[in-house]
Amino acid sequence: MERINDTAQNEKGAHGVMNIEALSVKYGKKTALDGVSFTIRPRGITAVIGPSGCGKTTLLHCMNGMLRENKDATISGHIYLGGKDTALIPMEELRRRVGLVFQTPSPFPFSIYKNMTYGLKYYGTAAKADMDRAVEEKLRIVGLYDEVKDELGKNALKLSGGQQQRLCIARALTVEPEILLLDEPCSALDVKATALIEDMLLRMKRDYTIVTVTHNIAQAKRIADDVAVMFDGRLIEYSPAQELFSAPKQQLTREFLAGIYG
Amino acid sequence: MAGNKGMFTKLWAYISFTLVIGVIILLFVYVFVNGADAITIEFITQAPRGAILGMEGGIWPAIAGSFCFTTLAVILGGIPAIASALYIVFYCRSAKLERLFHTVIRCISGIPSIVLGLFAYSFLVRELQWGRCILSSGVALGIMILPFIEVRAEKTFRELPKAVVLSSYALGCSRRYTVMRIVLPACRGELISGLILGGCYAMGATAPLIFTGGVAYAGVPKSLMSPAMALPLHLYLLLAQGATSFNMAYGTAFVMMAIILISNILVTIYASRSQAKWNA
Repeated sequence: MERINDTAQNEKGAHGVMNIEALSVKYGKKTALDGVSFTIRPRGITAVIGPSGCGKTTLLHCMNGMLRENKDATISGHIYLGGKDTALIPMEELRRRVGLVFQTPSPFPFSIYKNMTYGLKYYGTAAKADMDRAVEEKLRIVGLYDEVKDELGKNALKLSGGQQQRLCIARALTVEPEILLLDEPCSALDVKATALIEDMLLRMKRDYTIVTVTHNIAQAKRIADDVAVMFDGRLIEYSPAQELFSAPKQQLTREFLAGIYG
Repeated sequence: MAGNKGMFTKLWAYISFTLVIGVIILLFVYVFVNGADAITIEFITQAPRGAILGMEGGIWPAIAGSFCFTTLAVILGGIPAIASALYIVFYCRSAKLERLFHTVIRCISGIPSIVLGLFAYSFLVRELQWGRCILSSGVALGIMILPFIEVRAEKTFRELPKAVVLSSYALGCSRRYTVMRIVLPACRGELISGLILGGCYAMGATAPLIFTGGVAYAGVPKSLMSPAMALPLHLYLLLAQGATSFNMAYGTAFVMMAIILISNILVTIYASRSQAKWNA
């Protein structure tokens, strides 16, 4: 867990780098995050693990300003994106650059194609050819294109759960984010759909920085480059995955990996 | 003993259910059987006539008048109701303001309708000199149905899956874009059904229009500034005239209930269809 000072921040002002510094969040009087600091490696998969209620989702929702939608939350500390304090980045830009996919698949109640062009239209893409190209490109990334290419006009709610979740990931990619945040993207899916999404994430990390919250230690082992272990609102260990799983430094991490906490 | 207790609860539920359904059916059948005699083409399409007004002729101006009152009430009450529900659910950042707003809405829904009539009479009809007209009554009726529509609209907005709305925010899209592209289209069925049900509520109300725009006799209204007849008021006057017009009174009740019942059924079908589309 290295602390980042001001000069280091500028060096780390690269595409897709996020530094979190002394981040604390309270819901009313209840502390949800307590002084969390770490740096997310670009073009890799960072898994955030920990028992239920330890603040994983809160942490993720801080990273793209989604937590500011919560009336009860008070946030302190800083998050830097590409070296710039996210508090100074306009909300719209921050959310465009840092995509977020929720736990339950949440397609918009219209066609697959319209789901994919929703964000594009908002940011002013008007030409049909541009939209078609983007739709195909992003659906290919998530491996959905061949499955749905003949029925792009079909209501997205008719897709299976796994397809819906991949569509939501593709939809998040349409606005060209640098970082993609995933909040337990597989918790509502079966083994096969989960495997598809894991493969997809491994392919995607060449181009995107991915942060995924997961309940599933085995999944973190399979896909993560770095692992952050949260406990009771604090970050207790943050190291490369191999190191963390083979030789955890903290007692709490060992206990968590051993399955003592659910 | 547990079995007996279960039986008792079950029996109680059955009896209550039968009683409720029975009363409603009895009411409808009673009105429809008694009113059916009065229903003719003439009754629907002509103006009331007779030595005692309403003994003969029909109720067409009252149907047209009620339609005007109701439409205006739905516009005047519905637009602010839906807009404020949108504000409270998607824009309001202060829990205090939200509580205050809910208190105000509850207060409005607690105002007896005759008091709304009194307010509209003294303020709009006399103070602002609008006179007795459809507009004055429309405002009173609009205030009356505003909480009714607001509560339904707010419930509909809150029932939207949160992740869907947040997913739109997560793409960086503004609230306005989210509301226009997702929230309103997704809730359209429920919102329209809330408006129509609010309209039915307004159509049945007499107190707000007695002093403000409803009159015993008028032609089909030509403008918002003219007074008009209304079905419930006409019904009241016919009953007040005594036995001579009972038949006509039942006929009027028949027409009013038929309009409300049919609107209700159509709205239920429409809302469940648009709901089915969402869940498809």
